[in-house]
Amino acid sequence: MTDPKETINIENVVASTGIGQELDLQSVAMDLEGADYDPEQFPGLVYRTQDPKSAALIFRSGKIVCTGAKSTDDVHESLRIVFDKLRELSIKVEDDPEIVVQNIVTSADLGRQLNLNAIAIGLGLENIEYEPEQFPGLVYRLDDPEVVALLFGSGKLVITGGKEPKDAEHAVDKITSRLEELGLLD
Amino acid sequence: MTRSTRQRERETAAKQEEEEDSEEGVRECPECGSDNLVKSSDRAELVCNDCGLVVEEEQIDPGPEWRAFNHQERQEKSRVGAPTTQTMHDKGLTTTIDWKDKDAYGRSISSKKRSQMHRLRKWQERIRTKDAGERNLQFALSEIDRMASALGVPRSVREVASVIYRRALKEDLIRGRSIEGVATSALYAACRKEGIPRSLEEISEVSRVERKEIGRTYRYISQELGLEMKPVDPKKYVPRFCSELELTEEVQSKANEIIETTAEEGLLSGKSPTGYAAAAIYAASLLCNEKKTQREVADVAQVTEVTIRNRYQEQIEAMGIHG
Repeated sequence: MTDPKETINIENVVASTGIGQELDLQSVAMDLEGADYDPEQFPGLVYRTQDPKSAALIFRSGKIVCTGAKSTDDVHESLRIVFDKLRELSIKVEDDPEIVVQNIVTSADLGRQLNLNAIAIGLGLENIEYEPEQFPGLVYRLDDPEVVALLFGSGKLVITGGKEPKDAEHAVDKITSRLEELGLLD
Repeated sequence: MTRSTRQRERETAAKQEEEEDSEEGVRECPECGSDNLVKSSDRAELVCNDCGLVVEEEQIDPGPEWRAFNHQERQEKSRVGAPTTQTMHDKGLTTTIDWKDKDAYGRSISSKKRSQMHRLRKWQERIRTKDAGERNLQFALSEIDRMASALGVPRSVREVASVIYRRALKEDLIRGRSIEGVATSALYAACRKEGIPRSLEEISEVSRVERKEIGRTYRYISQELGLEMKPVDPKKYVPRFCSELELTEEVQSKANEIIETTAEEGLLSGKSPTGYAAAAIYAASLLCNEKKTQREVADVAQVTEVTIRNRYQEQIEAMGIHG
């Protein structure tokens, strides 16, 4: 049996930061090449970096949200690019603004089919949410680490809400041991 | 009927009451410790069924002291009104002034009295609900009643739905949500609790709220109230769909068999119960030579033909039959 932890793959990392001053997005959009700004659609300016691939949302307040990166390093890297671009436009940016990771989405595979009905009852109906009429996945909220896991019938799962890559590993460990306890993993 | 309703009320009522109940329930025989106590047939004694000890004598008989042999006699002799119900905002304990302008002897009353009664009636109607909160509750409960009638679900479900709505109101879950939305999801939850599930599609047909909103509100209140709802069993849909399709018992039991065997193999995971039931009915109708088209089954179950085809393929493969 392969360890489900080895199948863990980070799908998305969201981080936020700020440059501490208000921006005139209209002029930034004009000067910054490849920027999308449509205030009727979305109040922020969208700037996409290609390597590493990610999208930075720049808001009028000077706050920046970076999403779409595949690792925490990538987030830092792409935000560094954004900062450099802004500096080129002679907007003052501190040397190293604080970057806070807000959410990490990971996927994993338990490698076998799951009987979600049995799992729903086994894990306790008060801890889970399973409404196949509305969504095919079973939603399992863990307290420690504080993440939400979506379990699917195929055995694949998505873990979201973690702040560190380690959270996902802990969650997968916890879920597999809980399911093994219940004898639902064979 | 009223008895079973009350029992259900008790289930959903506060924990304290539950404890009281269980205290009453776990009485055991002081002689042999058995909990197999029965009321003897004349209802005056509590007897242990195992050792024969009379635990209690001369019990109080809570029944009526009069005898009635038909409905009319019962009506005449009974001195109480209808049982209280959660489906009314005042639990049915209200005063209504008759609309007939007649006195106790059946004579019509003077015009002066008549206008007085008219005024009294108007004010009684107005003060029945003392504030906006009660008026809202009245509206919500009448919505539940209206939808339940349209769906044709029994009284007990309305009673449960009303209790769920009242709990949501007490926990302040309605703030920021529409009254109609919460009322509809309370009814949806009640149907499932009572084991006669209605799909969100069916519910949204009679509701003023759209399906998505009902689902969202339902998830919220079931989470917050800890309703601990089991996933819907597709078998619960089989009898209703089959009778709408005018299929025989044979098809029903075949469909149930298909659902049971395939669900055991884990085919049900993450699949919509209505679609699953529909596919099993379709497969069963083929096997029993009472073929219904996918279109017909799909219309009754309110799923698409594509869903039926997909589930059907998976099911017959798992059953090892070739359709």
